[in-house]
Amino acid sequence: MHNAIEVEGLTKVYKSGRKGSPPVLAVDHVSFQVRKGEIFGFLGPNGAGKTTTHRMLTTLLEPTEGRIVIDGYDLAHDAYFAKRRMGLVPEESNIYVDLSGWENLIFTGRLYRVPKGERERRAAELLKAFGLWEKRHVKAEYYSKGMRRRLSIAMAIIHRPAILFLDEPTPGLDAQSTRMIRSLIRQMNAEGTTIFLTTHQIEEASQLCDRVAIIHHGQIAAIDAPERLKRDFQRVQSVEVALSPDGQRHGQALERLPGVNKAVKMGDKWRLYTDDPSALLPRVVHYAEEQGARIVSLNTLGPSLEDVFLAITGQEVGSVVPGNEDSPSRKRRGNR
Amino acid sequence: MRRWSKARLWDELAQIWTVASKDVRVYYLTPPMIMFGLLMPFFLFFSFSIRRGMGPAAGLARLLALNTFFTASSAGPVIIPLERRARTYDRLLVAPMSLVSLLLGKTLVGAFFAVSVALVSLVGGLLLHVPIAHLGWVILGVMLVSGSFAAFGLIFGSFPSSSVGGIMMPSTLLRWPLLFISGIFIPLEEMSPWARALSYISPLTYAQDLMNHAVLDRGVIPLVVDVVVLLLSVGLFLIPAIKLHHRSKVLGY
Repeated sequence: MHNAIEVEGLTKVYKSGRKGSPPVLAVDHVSFQVRKGEIFGFLGPNGAGKTTTHRMLTTLLEPTEGRIVIDGYDLAHDAYFAKRRMGLVPEESNIYVDLSGWENLIFTGRLYRVPKGERERRAAELLKAFGLWEKRHVKAEYYSKGMRRRLSIAMAIIHRPAILFLDEPTPGLDAQSTRMIRSLIRQMNAEGTTIFLTTHQIEEASQLCDRVAIIHHGQIAAIDAPERLKRDFQRVQSVEVALSPDGQRHGQALERLPGVNKAVKMGDKWRLYTDDPSALLPRVVHYAEEQGARIVSLNTLGPSLEDVFLAITGQEVGSVVPGNEDSPSRKRRGNR
Repeated sequence: MRRWSKARLWDELAQIWTVASKDVRVYYLTPPMIMFGLLMPFFLFFSFSIRRGMGPAAGLARLLALNTFFTASSAGPVIIPLERRARTYDRLLVAPMSLVSLLLGKTLVGAFFAVSVALVSLVGGLLLHVPIAHLGWVILGVMLVSGSFAAFGLIFGSFPSSSVGGIMMPSTLLRWPLLFISGIFIPLEEMSPWARALSYISPLTYAQDLMNHAVLDRGVIPLVVDVVVLLLSVGLFLIPAIKLHHRSKVLGY
């Protein structure tokens, strides 16, 4: 069985518009595969090459070098057949605001050559599933942001694509819409759709994805299942403590405790990054007793996907040295 | 590469119609279309034609050529930037159809618009008993000229920009000189030899001559040449539009 997406040596160089300015290497020989039926997360900080890769995969941007195969069809030669197999939900909900929800869906169905009867059945089914049925004849310009997002997703799947590309599907949405969209993504995946999710929301990727790739400076910095990535970053462990009364004042003192690499305020708690949580726990308890403070909660935490992401992308986190070349996941650059 | 099949060809034709019918529904009554495609050619016609001692038939031939030129060539530069701005153009670019089909769909939109406006002028002319030499040729001519100029407008719409104003400015800068060298305001037979030679590079010259043949039963260029040039121009105008789209895809616009 072939993979849903195969990417080999994908490269994009933007030529500078100004005379004499050097070209910009946005994506640098990226290679990866997405298995059929997988939810694959594509993470990276701003400017890492995430959107450029996404646009190349969806035929909107011409690669400078490399090969992309979508469900067995090489994009360079068989784009038409590849396009029939994919659905795209862009970052911005690109619906026709002058058309109603129903008309938007019917138009997209026609664009993908879904037969008339099936098109109308499917449009009705999607509008009901996405909570838009009551407003199906209302112009989309009167839809809320969440409704537009849902309509945009419905339009992307009216032809039952084998692979769905989602670019930042939930930012800016209320909690209810976000939960609904995540649940829809899981449901589509359960029905057999491969999902390629481009996001900078690490928690979302952690919750949804079977595997994630982290792109940094145009290269794949790590690629694996979220839990395996976290395991590789065991050094990014922590103890989380909430003290009362006046828990906020303990930050500096907690950071000075032996074994604490860094203390980070997390709401009403302090997260103490450490190499050895079991050794740190009694010290925290002792400190609280000394200060006459009550421990409201005390937990040990493994590394989160966010910690892994921040470590790999060289942003500030716990004890991890920014851009540590020795990190196990970096060694797997682009080879899976 | 997979070969083209009959089914694929049918799909592509259906896509052309899908794109065109959607644009008719969404963009025909947008303010820039009304301004640049509908009002401007009428104003131009009345500005340059009133009190010039022109007969009603000659006036109708001029009005049809002028209207069709401006109306058809306005659709591309208005609709494509609007779609780029709303990002809905991406939806069309990722749809399973060839770029040529997409552009033909957009050509059809401009052509429909121009034919509809020309029909209003034609019906008005008929109601006013304006003598028309060959009504069938007028209708065929309007369709042909509309197709040609709609494809011409696509060249401007294909520039990587999401600003209607930014596209309309160069488009107008090119369309106006074409207007003045094309025998619309100064008949070809009254032009100096060098001006007439220059006029032959403008497709509008052939459009006006075709309308003169159809309405007045007289033209300077043989009718068959007018038809062939206008037919060829559709393909000729689509080439730079396709090239500009490829360039946008490379640049990442």
